[in-house]
Amino acid sequence: MGEPAALRATRSGDASVRTSPTGRLRERDAIGSSIAVREAVKRYGSFHAVDRISIDVEPGEFITLLGPSGSGKTTLLNLVAGFQSLDSGEILVDGKPVHNVPTHKRGFGMVFQSYALFPNMTVSQNVAFPLRMAGVDRATAERRVAETLEIMRLTEHATKSPSQMSGGQQQRVAIARAIVRRPKVVLMDEPLSALDRRLRESIQIEIRDLHQTIGSTILFVTHDQGEALTMSDRIAVLNAGRIVQIGRPLDIYRHPTDRFVASFVGESNLIEAEILQKRGSTLTMKNRAGYVFSAESRDTIDVGRATVLVRPERIAVSNEPTANSTPVSVTSAIFLGEILRIEAQVEGGEPLLIRCTDMADRPLPAVGDRLHVSWGAADCWVLS
Amino acid sequence: MTSASIGVHASRLADLDLVRRLKDPAFLLLPAIAFLAFIYLLPLIDLIRISLSGPSWSSYFARVFAIPLYWDSLVRTMQISVTVAGLCLLFGYPTALLIHRSRGITQVMIATAIVLPYFIAILIRTYAWMVLLGRNGPVNKLLVSLGILSEPVQLLFNRGTVLLGMTAVLLPLMVLTIYSSVARLDQSLTRAALASGAGPIAAFWRVLLPLTLPGMGAGFLLVFVAAIGFFITPTLLGGPGDQMFAMHITQQADSVTSEGFLQALGVVLLTITLAVVAVAGRFLGFEFIWGGRKLTEAAPIATDRHVADVGRRSFGASLADLIGWPLLRLFGRLPASCGTWTIRLMGGLVIATLILPIIVVMIISFSSASYLTFPPPGFSLRWYEQFFSDSNWMRAFWTSLIVAAMSAGIAITLGASAALGIVRSTIRGKSAIMLLLVSPIIVPPVVLGLSLYSLFLRFDLVGSVFGLAAAHAIGGLPIVVVILSASLQGVDTRLEQAAAVHGASSLTVFRLVTLPAIMPGLAAATFFAFLHSFDELVLTLFLSSAQLKTLPLMLWGDINYRLNPVLAVVSTLEVLLVVAGLVLARPVLATSRKAA
Repeated sequence: MGEPAALRATRSGDASVRTSPTGRLRERDAIGSSIAVREAVKRYGSFHAVDRISIDVEPGEFITLLGPSGSGKTTLLNLVAGFQSLDSGEILVDGKPVHNVPTHKRGFGMVFQSYALFPNMTVSQNVAFPLRMAGVDRATAERRVAETLEIMRLTEHATKSPSQMSGGQQQRVAIARAIVRRPKVVLMDEPLSALDRRLRESIQIEIRDLHQTIGSTILFVTHDQGEALTMSDRIAVLNAGRIVQIGRPLDIYRHPTDRFVASFVGESNLIEAEILQKRGSTLTMKNRAGYVFSAESRDTIDVGRATVLVRPERIAVSNEPTANSTPVSVTSAIFLGEILRIEAQVEGGEPLLIRCTDMADRPLPAVGDRLHVSWGAADCWVLS
Repeated sequence: MTSASIGVHASRLADLDLVRRLKDPAFLLLPAIAFLAFIYLLPLIDLIRISLSGPSWSSYFARVFAIPLYWDSLVRTMQISVTVAGLCLLFGYPTALLIHRSRGITQVMIATAIVLPYFIAILIRTYAWMVLLGRNGPVNKLLVSLGILSEPVQLLFNRGTVLLGMTAVLLPLMVLTIYSSVARLDQSLTRAALASGAGPIAAFWRVLLPLTLPGMGAGFLLVFVAAIGFFITPTLLGGPGDQMFAMHITQQADSVTSEGFLQALGVVLLTITLAVVAVAGRFLGFEFIWGGRKLTEAAPIATDRHVADVGRRSFGASLADLIGWPLLRLFGRLPASCGTWTIRLMGGLVIATLILPIIVVMIISFSSASYLTFPPPGFSLRWYEQFFSDSNWMRAFWTSLIVAAMSAGIAITLGASAALGIVRSTIRGKSAIMLLLVSPIIVPPVVLGLSLYSLFLRFDLVGSVFGLAAAHAIGGLPIVVVILSASLQGVDTRLEQAAAVHGASSLTVFRLVTLPAIMPGLAAATFFAFLHSFDELVLTLFLSSAQLKTLPLMLWGDINYRLNPVLAVVSTLEVLLVVAGLVLARPVLATSRKAA
């Protein structure tokens, strides 16, 4: 679990830059390929690892497949890479079907979770390998290897054996090997999950920057929602072999389509509430404890019950009752550094998770303390 | 504080120190080392002493090398062994890949087809080939019915059958050795090569092959060393022109006059074996003998070679530019299924070679015919009746059971204690001790038998059940030590610490934590030690008497004397024993592999 609040700050910070992905694409030379997966199916016996997945990846896009283990994200990547064959459906790269082309002729670059550096070759031999296989002559290959090592800041390690390097360095070599041919598509299979947190964060940024420079289409697989939010142009959330939602990180986080996405990406409070009234796009709702609040909804629901998502950092906390607040009693309070994480019980209702910024005038609440919480209509998201 | 109290204090500390030292697990190594010193090292040293006891130290050796018969035989032994090791490598590698690439039930079936023959006695597997290739055997029948031959011919007793038989007997060893080195590789390495644009053949040549080279080397050398000392298979399948060196030793052993000369023959064979192992150990690490992980921390991989490669524009590099790389790219155009089919074809051939003879023998054991013929004219249980009603066979059967049980008991007691000692103690020279404990595997059985014979004569042990069991335990001990030290290394020491922290005494910790964890290994080790003794023939040939006949010895006598279906009955029973053992041991092996 990353730091959603911190991420949210970055997200909303450059929201203006990111509102138009196509606009962003114009900033760099789009040499990446488009990838289209159509109705892809991969079964293991009766188990559908990939169950009729369709996805369109734009040229030069950084797209992340996010999901828990067993959701089919790695299988989908392996299908695109050609390690496994489709049971039905098709995969098109730049409009041309590739699902019957063997892996080594697809011309992709790939980074593996275990780095998969050839232990019998030095760093530069590893990086040169794809070039030699592509028939590039030795002199040209050496020049391009040197360039790529330069980009990855690995020049002084060129003659080392992979086993002499740290995990972070090894992964940078693996990335260098994947991009040395300037492939139109780079596949990344949980490349950062074997690294410690600090290193992971620095390489995340490095990969983002690299993506800007080389412009390849990147298909990135991870189970880490923080990583997905930080790096991607778009995220496809997978569950049980299907794509549940696909969209920009901001949309996925703020406007998840269902309970699964809401709870898998970021921390969430899912509140069951009754719709009392609808006026325009504003709903008036009442939760089980009888707390009445209003919520914005784009949907057409106007009667009955609905699940409302309220992110823990959107909940306002005060020691005194305010307008439209409801009392809660604290069941746990943890100081996380810049953030306080408070669990509280709405009287007669569900438990609430609250994250608020650490401030000088806010003492750490004790268990049993009474607090008053509230949220505005814009802080709610009604799940369909 | 007075000086007296300091003195008392110091002596108490010394006591504690002594107690601590006595509790050192290194002491657990002593029984096994003492056992091996007496029954294994001492006789070998004695063998060498006698071989040097001529008028001058080298006179017996001079005789060995002066007689063309022995020199030719030595050269022939080398030729046969290298050929067999080469054939095993050629066919074993694709088979190992086949196991590695198959999944689920198919993988289990293929692996079983390789492992099962590995545990069946060499004598029985050789006998199966005699049946298969005999005048009335299925191969001759098939060739005649296809019209390739007009009448059955003698296929046996030539160089070809010796090579075939030895290769078949030693293939499982090669396959298992290579498989363990292939399985240890990160699967994504091949994928990384493919994703980098390498075709299947290029990925194999540039990545898989170089990385499994140590495994191939280990397999080649293990097979080669085993082949040098081979005795049973060449005796049964070879003709007069295929005499291997070990066979001369047994022939000479029958004539009493050759004292000294005989030992010199043994020492020559031993020296060659040890020299090969020493050179191999220098390059591969002696761990290759038992296929184990290093007991001490692995030294960092030497990389100077790589560094040197980069700077140098050698002739080799330009040759690679000119031919190698373009060729690999060209191979990339081949359909991917080529490699897959090569592997399937060769692997399938190997499996057929290993399994078919056994199946044929099992079918023949139910034959109603009074001689060996395949397919049998009819089916009956007459040979089973004959086996179970023949008192000689039954006595041999019981003798074998008793000897094997005793031998397994000795091996497991000494071996378990030694394994604990080697894994849990912190003494220096662990590798050397492990090498000593495991070394009986590589000493040619003929040499071991010869050396033991004089020891047994001196202590009047020839023909004694206990002596034979102890002799068999020499070979059983390494099996036990290898299996148990692997399972002990798999025991999570944190579990033991957890038990101790929560109040368990060290004995309770052993009983409640360690023992259950190594139980599967213990069971497997006992079974394999039992099987080793039950199958043992060569040592028994030297050490038994007319009164003490084991089942393999009876078989050996009958194979040389008359080939009849009773032998097939014994073979079938042995196969069933091994199958039962493997079925029982399978969950055990699976868990121990997971732990390792």
